Amino acid sequence: MYSIIVFLPLLGALIAGFFGRWIGARGAGILTSAFLAVSAVLSIWALYSVGLNAHEPHMERIEVLRWVTSGALDVYWALRIDTLTVVMLVVVTFVSGLVHIYSIGYMSHDPHQQRFFSYLSLFTFAMLMLVTSDNFLQLFFGWEGVGLASYLLIGFWYKKPSACAAAIKAFIVNRVGDFGFALGIFAIFFVFGAIDFNTVFGTASEQVGQTFNFLGYEVDVLTTICLLLFMGAMGKSAQFFLHTWLPDAMEGPTPVSALIHAATMVTAGVFLVARCSPLFELSETALWVVTIVGATTAFFAATVGLVQNDIKRVIAYSTCSQLGYMFAALGLGAYGVAIFHLFTHAFFKALLFLGSGSVIHAMSDEQDMRKMGGLFPHLKITWAMMLIGTIALTGVGIPGLFGTAGFYSKDAIIEASYAAHSGAGSFAFWMTVLAALMTSFYSWRLMFMTFHGKSRASKEVMSHVHESPNVMLVPLYLLAAGALLAGIVFAPYFIGHDETHFWASSLFRSESNHIVHDMHEVPLWVKWSATVMMLVGFVLAWVMYIRNPALPKRLAEQHVLLYRFLLNKWYFDEIYDFLLVRPAKWLGRFLWKKGDGWLIDGFGPDGVAARVIDVTNRVVKLQTGYVFHYAFVMLIGVAALITYFMFSGIGGTH
Amino acid sequence: MIIASLFFYLFAAITVAAAFMVISARNPVHSVLFLILAFFNSAGLFVLLGAEFVAMILVIVYVGAVAVLFLFVVMMLDIDFSELREGMLQYLPIGVTIGAILLIELFMVFGSWVIAPETAGFAASPTPPIDRITNTEAIGQLLYTKYVYLFQAAGMVLLIAMIGAIVLTLRHKEGVKRQVVADQVARTPAGVQLKDVKPGQGL
Amino acid sequence: MQSPFHSADLTTASPELLLAGGAMALLMFGVFRGKDATGPVNVLSIGLLIAAGLAVLFSSSGTVTAFADGFVVDGFARFMKILTLIGSTGAIILSLHVMRVERMNRFEYPILILLATLGMLMMISANDMISLYMGLELQSLALYVVAALNRDSVRSSEAGLKYFVLGALSSGMLLYGASLVYGFTGTTSFPQIAAAINHGETGLGLVFGLVFIISGLAFKISAVPFHMWTPDVYEGAPTPVTAFFAAAPKVAAMAMFIRVVVGAFPNITADWQQIIVFISIASMVLGAFAAIGQTNIKRLMAYSSIGHMGFALVGLAAGTEDGVRGVIVYLAIYLVMTLGTFACILAMRGRNGAVENISDLAGLARNNPMMAFLLAMLMFSLAGIPPLAGFFAKFYVFLAAIEAGLYVLAVIGVLASVVGAYYYVRIVKIMYFDEPAEEFEPMPVSLKAVLAVSGVLTIAFFVYPGPLVAAAGSAASSLF
Repeated sequence: MYSIIVFLPLLGALIAGFFGRWIGARGAGILTSAFLAVSAVLSIWALYSVGLNAHEPHMERIEVLRWVTSGALDVYWALRIDTLTVVMLVVVTFVSGLVHIYSIGYMSHDPHQQRFFSYLSLFTFAMLMLVTSDNFLQLFFGWEGVGLASYLLIGFWYKKPSACAAAIKAFIVNRVGDFGFALGIFAIFFVFGAIDFNTVFGTASEQVGQTFNFLGYEVDVLTTICLLLFMGAMGKSAQFFLHTWLPDAMEGPTPVSALIHAATMVTAGVFLVARCSPLFELSETALWVVTIVGATTAFFAATVGLVQNDIKRVIAYSTCSQLGYMFAALGLGAYGVAIFHLFTHAFFKALLFLGSGSVIHAMSDEQDMRKMGGLFPHLKITWAMMLIGTIALTGVGIPGLFGTAGFYSKDAIIEASYAAHSGAGSFAFWMTVLAALMTSFYSWRLMFMTFHGKSRASKEVMSHVHESPNVMLVPLYLLAAGALLAGIVFAPYFIGHDETHFWASSLFRSESNHIVHDMHEVPLWVKWSATVMMLVGFVLAWVMYIRNPALPKRLAEQHVLLYRFLLNKWYFDEIYDFLLVRPAKWLGRFLWKKGDGWLIDGFGPDGVAARVIDVTNRVVKLQTGYVFHYAFVMLIGVAALITYFMFSGIGGTH
Repeated sequence: MIIASLFFYLFAAITVAAAFMVISARNPVHSVLFLILAFFNSAGLFVLLGAEFVAMILVIVYVGAVAVLFLFVVMMLDIDFSELREGMLQYLPIGVTIGAILLIELFMVFGSWVIAPETAGFAASPTPPIDRITNTEAIGQLLYTKYVYLFQAAGMVLLIAMIGAIVLTLRHKEGVKRQVVADQVARTPAGVQLKDVKPGQGL
Repeated sequence: MQSPFHSADLTTASPELLLAGGAMALLMFGVFRGKDATGPVNVLSIGLLIAAGLAVLFSSSGTVTAFADGFVVDGFARFMKILTLIGSTGAIILSLHVMRVERMNRFEYPILILLATLGMLMMISANDMISLYMGLELQSLALYVVAALNRDSVRSSEAGLKYFVLGALSSGMLLYGASLVYGFTGTTSFPQIAAAINHGETGLGLVFGLVFIISGLAFKISAVPFHMWTPDVYEGAPTPVTAFFAAAPKVAAMAMFIRVVVGAFPNITADWQQIIVFISIASMVLGAFAAIGQTNIKRLMAYSSIGHMGFALVGLAAGTEDGVRGVIVYLAIYLVMTLGTFACILAMRGRNGAVENISDLAGLARNNPMMAFLLAMLMFSLAGIPPLAGFFAKFYVFLAAIEAGLYVLAVIGVLASVVGAYYYVRIVKIMYFDEPAEEFEPMPVSLKAVLAVSGVLTIAFFVYPGPLVAAAGSAASSLF
């Protein structure tokens, strides 16, 4: 069954990719969507049987084939099925299936739909490989697979230079992370002599306190490994410093943004850390770093999100910020909470993206919110869906009673960070609380700027505004249901009293880690803090964009420096451009022109090739066509050989 | 024995000299004539060896047939050999150098070469004494038994030479009138038409 | 007088007798039948070659000598004869269509091929300098004639004449060497020469004789510096004839080469090794470099064959059983690849007749994808790119050379094959990436068949290389 879940998307990708011409655009969409639907249904059943209904917590391992055997390295391609995996399976297949269906409508005017669906399914397959992996190599395979699919999909409209640039940027920034990830895997193989999860996690505790010498410093082995792995996670999950690719990735089609850059791929880093919890749990330093980076990202991305005008970029920064929440939770040891947020986030963020896709679709591919507004009367259903997404994201709910998905998961993170009672914990607490305020603000800002107020779009565009077809709306309904209900339904299992039984052995917590227990016993004001922030944010947004639309402009003019700073995303792109891109380009140009063109080509291939041509020309000239020349050559040959033997005094036997 | 030695050196010297003249004579006809002279003297050498059959064959076949054929060909072709040679002259130095090197080296090898006295006894098929069996018969006996394979192979070579000559040169030209005996014999007076052709007019 | 001739000798030489008798019978048939004899003669010739092949296959195993030790049939001879017969059969099949279209369909052509093949079989079985020479001349004479077969073409006549003159020179060298060897050992029989050398009858004179003999033999396999005739003859001769030249005679001449040096001079291996290393390096390097400058595909194939003979000689230079096995494998694979390649070259016919320039292949992938694919595979194989057959051919000879300690030779060989890969791959590039040139006429069935067989064998060799390698191994072991 698990094999079917994993390999159906691959089959779909292959069929859509290679036989797309035969089955047609519509056929490709329907076929891949159907495959994904099957996978999704099976996944939900798997979640039920493994996570919710299991009498005995268990872990299943399904071998597909023996993959690599090289010296001490012996790797099987196996599917590791435990609660963490099935949760991810559900997220991936469910969202992916809906995105597939949605794309049938959204991409209906695109001439290359087969390619699109093939890539989407390929991505899904790679993501499934990633989450079902049983060893680090397989994980890396899926990791790179989703990276590839992401690259292909960001650059799907490859005729758009900005799309190509964004694709390349995403790929290269991820390379930085993957470099660390790969080094981490090497280190694991070096230290443990194996890279399958069972061996590594089983023997991890033996490595506690072990050090190795690096440039004269004694470095802790486990910390090093964890930090290297986390580097990979930072790249993939767009954490602080390596986040710059995610907003640019919005150049891809909106369903792609929903699937890859919101719901699934970017959470791979979270999954990685959760999967490696037996390692991270043993290194306090690594956890500390994870928390700080996560909390910083949550705060930083939220600040940038305040002033962005591109509807998708706002959501992209929101994604970045929410990922920061997850990492903060991971760093505090609340792995289940992080995964829970991942789970709920997938629903409402996909909902928001697809909803904004619906808006963009309606607005004839306009993404700038300054040119929207007043769409509510035209797009009532979309408005409703976006509203649900927004309240889920901002975490609307009454503590102790009822709430949307985000209410349970996000607030749990804030509570957990308070409950950690550590320096990093309180840093995370304040960062995430502030981020919650800003989340609420920019979310409502998006709603107001898009749907309310006076329309700022041209008449022509407005005349074309139409509600999306059902094929796009039905996925929204399903996601909206998830966004509303995922929290209340699953909270008991993921973070509530059934938590230990639910996660079983898939997540590891050391003896001293009681954070999930502690988090339910935080003071009341902490529980209310997030809700209050949400309300404040809503009011602020209402004041600035409905009540007094001139206010934002005035504020921006008064604090021009701050505004610029935020608008330009803390100048990260500019700093990187100055520090890294330009020197790299200069170095590249130098190596290209001088190193390669002059030195290597001149003396290497080109030089050799030129000499070869010279020799050839000379040899060809020997062939004069005169018989007596030929005879001469023969005689000279004989004479040379005989002379050689004359003087060498005949070979060795005499 | 002295007379035999005397004749050997005479024949040998003339053979070498004639061979040299074959390639150095200006007139190709002279070359062929010198070739005939060389053949004659070689035949003489064979006679001295007691191989009179080979000697006679040499005279009859080479002198009588091959060389005369050459002569005809050379006279018919009207090739100006001196003109051809002129092009070669510029390569003379290098040719002479190579030739000289080879010659010197070979001389150095043969200079140290002595025939072992008993070598004559090693001959695979020694010539039988003339009083027991004739030379021709001895060759025939050997040729059709021990060397039958090579003899037949030589026959095949000649066959190919013949086929080759025909393939490469024989042409059935259109419009060439040939004598067809069968037609001539089958012709009856009825089919013959006599025409009186006036001189200088043609048909 | 001992009885020098047994009737059993005739059985031993039955393939040769079959060919000789059959060729003469066909000649008579052709002469009496006249113009329309070509078709039947072609078919009968193929049948005759196959019959001869069967006669070789079903001859008694082991080493048998005949005709006063002048003729030997052993495992090596049998294997090489089969290869040669395959090459000749392929050449006739390749010629069927083109000869008809070019109005050169003379019944003498298959007969001359039969006779040349007869000469080759005799060369392969020669166990004596004289029988070797007879076989060689029989083959060469037939080849001279077929080279000039298109007598109305100046280029063809020139090719035949050049080949003839230089061939005569090389025969002279061979004879001179043979007479030197005879002078120094007192015998022309290979085993007796070997025995005589073993008794210490060696000296500079013998080595000189060897040099001359090898020079004469090297001419036949067109090894540098005795290769000069090859490009001109390949280009000038009618293309089916070139296909024939490139295949069977090379195999037979190489077999003869091996037979002479291994059979007659096994005790002075170090001496002939040096000569072979020299001509092998020279052939590989010149073949690789000179081919780059060619625009005519037949000339290119000429240099290609020079290079390939150089590679095959690498195995012989090793002087070991493994080396000879490598050469045999090399020749077998070379034969198959060459026939396939020439099937493609012969299919290069536009509306205005045959074309021979490499640039005429431009865009073939679009006009005739199947032919382009197979030709590309053959080119890759000729270049020695794994996993195609050509790679294994080179692999075995280089392996033998390295095991024999000839590292320099192996390294130069590998480098030469790198340079050589350029011109093969360039053809692929022209076929696949250049703007299409004029479309070719559809390929006749006979060429298609040869190309298909050759292509499949080349591509699929790596799946099941065992039989060929094992057969080559046992053939080589019969020599040592």
